[in-house]
Amino acid sequence: MGTKDSLMAIFGRNGVIDDPDILASYAENQSFEPRFAPWFVVKPSDAGKIEKLVKWANKAGTPLVPVSSTGVKLRGDSAPSVPGAVAVDLSGMKKILNVNRQQRMAVVEPGVTYDELNKELAKQNMVIPGSLKPKAGQSVLTDVLEAVPRLNPMMQWNFFDPLRCVEVTWGDGTRMFTGEAAGGPLDLEAQWKKQQWQVQYMGPWMTDYYRLVTQAQGSMGIVTWASLKTAVKPSVHRLYIAAADSLEDLEGFVYKAMWTRFPDELFILNRAQAASLIGKTEEEIKRLKEALPPWIVAVGAAGRELIPEVRFEARSKDLIDIAQVNGLDLKEGIAGLSGRALYEEATSTDDGKVYWKDVYAGGHRDVFFLTQLDRTGEFLRAVREICEDIGYPTEDIGVYIQPRHIGSSYHMEFTFPYDPDSAAEEARLRSLLETVSVAVSDLGGYYSRPYGRWAGIQLNKDAQSLMALKRLKGIFDPNGVMNPGKLAV
Amino acid sequence: MKNITYNKDFYRALQDIVGERNVSEDPAVTENYRCITAQSSAHYGPYDTRTPKPQAVVLPGSTEEVQQIVRLCNKYKVDFKAASTFWAAMGFIGSDNAIQLDMIRMDNVEIDAKNMIAVCEPFAIGGTVQVEAMKNGLNCNIAGVGCSSSTLAGSAGWVGFGPSSIFMGIASENLLGAEWVLPDGEIIRTGTLGSDGEWFCGEGPGPSPRAIFRGWTGTAGTMGVCTRIAIRLHPWPGPKWIPVRGTAPAYFADGLDNVRAYTVCYPDWDAYAESFRLFYEADICYLAHRQFNMFGRDIKTAMVEIFTHPEKQFCDLPELMEDPYIKEQNEQMKVDVQIVLAGFTERDLDYKEKAFDEILRQVGAHKSEYYLQQDIEDFVKLYLLRLARKNYNYTLCSSYEGNFGLSPNVFVAAPLMEEAAALKREWEQTHTGVAAVGGDSDMGSVSGIGGGGTTGWEFFVHFDGFDKESIYDSCAHIDRTQEWMTEKGLGADFGRWNADVRQPNGYNYTQEQHDSFYSKIPQPALAEYQWKIREAFNPNRLTGSYYKTLTPKEFRDGDNK
Repeated sequence: MGTKDSLMAIFGRNGVIDDPDILASYAENQSFEPRFAPWFVVKPSDAGKIEKLVKWANKAGTPLVPVSSTGVKLRGDSAPSVPGAVAVDLSGMKKILNVNRQQRMAVVEPGVTYDELNKELAKQNMVIPGSLKPKAGQSVLTDVLEAVPRLNPMMQWNFFDPLRCVEVTWGDGTRMFTGEAAGGPLDLEAQWKKQQWQVQYMGPWMTDYYRLVTQAQGSMGIVTWASLKTAVKPSVHRLYIAAADSLEDLEGFVYKAMWTRFPDELFILNRAQAASLIGKTEEEIKRLKEALPPWIVAVGAAGRELIPEVRFEARSKDLIDIAQVNGLDLKEGIAGLSGRALYEEATSTDDGKVYWKDVYAGGHRDVFFLTQLDRTGEFLRAVREICEDIGYPTEDIGVYIQPRHIGSSYHMEFTFPYDPDSAAEEARLRSLLETVSVAVSDLGGYYSRPYGRWAGIQLNKDAQSLMALKRLKGIFDPNGVMNPGKLAV
Repeated sequence: MKNITYNKDFYRALQDIVGERNVSEDPAVTENYRCITAQSSAHYGPYDTRTPKPQAVVLPGSTEEVQQIVRLCNKYKVDFKAASTFWAAMGFIGSDNAIQLDMIRMDNVEIDAKNMIAVCEPFAIGGTVQVEAMKNGLNCNIAGVGCSSSTLAGSAGWVGFGPSSIFMGIASENLLGAEWVLPDGEIIRTGTLGSDGEWFCGEGPGPSPRAIFRGWTGTAGTMGVCTRIAIRLHPWPGPKWIPVRGTAPAYFADGLDNVRAYTVCYPDWDAYAESFRLFYEADICYLAHRQFNMFGRDIKTAMVEIFTHPEKQFCDLPELMEDPYIKEQNEQMKVDVQIVLAGFTERDLDYKEKAFDEILRQVGAHKSEYYLQQDIEDFVKLYLLRLARKNYNYTLCSSYEGNFGLSPNVFVAAPLMEEAAALKREWEQTHTGVAAVGGDSDMGSVSGIGGGGTTGWEFFVHFDGFDKESIYDSCAHIDRTQEWMTEKGLGADFGRWNADVRQPNGYNYTQEQHDSFYSKIPQPALAEYQWKIREAFNPNRLTGSYYKTLTPKEFRDGDNK
């Protein structure tokens, strides 16, 4: 039986897509890595079919590349890195399998987006802690699996919160649950009957299985549901903003605010990033860039179901006091930018047409890594120097800094807008990205999510971690069928 | 059982690595590295046996020395296990062909106050880490095992939740970078430590290799030797050290004005469960534990009276138990929990007090007047903040064992509590080996996970660890409660948690025995993958049977070593 025939045996005659235009669309992405259109595209609807597919791939020696989000592929992790792959499009798996108000838990399939989940959660006065303005087609499950930072680091007792348990079909075709869910039968309904809500994510024994599918770019297995810790929706909320001339000016306030754990959200933007987040057109972004201060820190205060006004007042006044002691003026808005508008933009998805970072120049590339707050200034200076050397306009560089894991580490993200229709700009940007990526690593920036080029840079610094990763890959995906070419393993 | 491969050459090589002063095979020394299997949290019977005697005990002083020892063990095929504060049997070896690593020489603690990180060596105990942290306005999660135990062991070796976990997270959540000597002698440094020598993140790059070292529990010394870890510290709004007043053993925290300790009295278990949900959502608790009920529903107040009055003794217990006031307090506190609030500002404390009162109002609970007495409140503050009184667990009868466990979901556990208590009470009244304390002796963490969501419970079974009849009676009681747990579909009784990792005679299980256990679990892949992980990282299988493995189907009839 040929490849297509054997795939059709699993997915039906119309379930194996080989239209060249459609295949080409699965190769499109915003990385500068080589592009390979998949051989076929399949769209599984349940874990049973995925199990069969992975077993088939092991026999056929065919690579599988899971794809859950729709719209622009920002990092290239869900685009094939090798020819002859089958793209496993999970975006149609849109079931919200469970919402539990008592435990503040939700269980979702890979195709569920933020808007879809929040609409459902709102019925029970809940919300999923989000990342900074995800694209409209962003899979919530992928976003948390890939450890995209959350705006509210205070809810991250664990590095990967709000991710809890998952169902995964490993690269060898074995399907299992993780965490608390692995202690019971391989049947969610049966677990719910016993009031097991997939809350506890560890183990369940000595191995943290869920950690093997995080930041993995689909290279270990295919996740078909994830349980997520949600939050009670604020009944009163305000996002305060403070301006600063330099990043260093914000440091004292951020450290102290994080120490108290008073903020509901806390993030730092430079003027270019804030303008891009708010502005709807190139002109508006330019105008905002002129008006906004060099740096802003945004801090949320909220009250929820239990004496909301008392909490809100206490948090607001204390945060304003802490800012004042640290030389900052925390306000409801500055320079025409209201906290309310910033909050709306930061927590909503984009319009699904042009990704918000592409509005200014048509395209963009990011460099992001983990560091500590007191080291962010070093990276900023280094990147600016490189941009000056290469001739990239430093005023266009967007910077986003996000505490995570209750402030244990800080996500630092540089955004470089460019005109993708200009060969000269693209060439300059390629050179810039390479230089910045290496320089960041040399300074100690940590590519915890090592996409594309960063995998080689990061893993070459740590031979033992690379060897451990290879051993683990050999256990869970012994034939290397899961998204080969990623993570340098 | 493996052949003995330990020999004099091996011993001389150990001396070369650590120096003659730091290794011994003198029976007077090695005999002390055997664990009475009645030790709490080992949880397997029959309580009158000991773990095997090690061939030698070695005290490494550095990661490099540990690596050389582990390589030597691989060369000679000698089993090994490292432990720091030796809380329970899991720290001890399980075969005759084994050496014990005692990590007592590695006790350094370094604090990065600005970034709220502590880097700890194995013998840095929770109390030391906390003292160093508090000097910098910080605190650390001290696991239920208490502050005299190793922070590293709790974080990397076992479970690690306690009263502080609702606010500070559990040990797994606080674990940042870590340095491990793998069972094959290679050294891995997780996350940022491996690439840049920084401690702030233990995840990645990509899928986290730390997954194989620390799950719901740590690996109990079976995945090599963890030599250093970083943990995340948490804010402490109190003074740089806790002032203490009182006369031994009645010590009280002094002057912690922005810290309040309460005991909540509930009308029923439904109210209890609902209040937990509200505590989780309000995020107001600094510490939350059902603590003193560990002595039992009928005697807990009398015990606290003894602990808080230096002139009182345990012989006063019968008289105190008959005191109408004490009886009334016990009655009010049938269903109770201890909560500590900490204010980071005046407004913060005011908000937390109001939220706390509102939760109590909503569920119909009230604050215990007994625990509002200044001395009693200050006793509770010190007890829960420091968790320095683990000896109290043993005071009633010389030994105790945790059992039941019920469910981590409080809404499942709470409705079963009275039935479980009645079962225990019946046993207490019809048998003489287990202390009669009123049935309900349930205690544990309001949260077994940062921010709330799961709970961790055990009923204390107090028995006489020096009386064989009492020992066997407590064991039979746990067998009975396991039957009840099984009938209710609640899984393993806490008292039988580790029944599958060490034989009742103190020795390791064989692979065949483990295969017979784990082929029956709902998702056997869990144990099959652990088998594969062990084969990849511990090819000589030198670290004992606490690591749960099932020979994968494809190997079961073939290469089953």
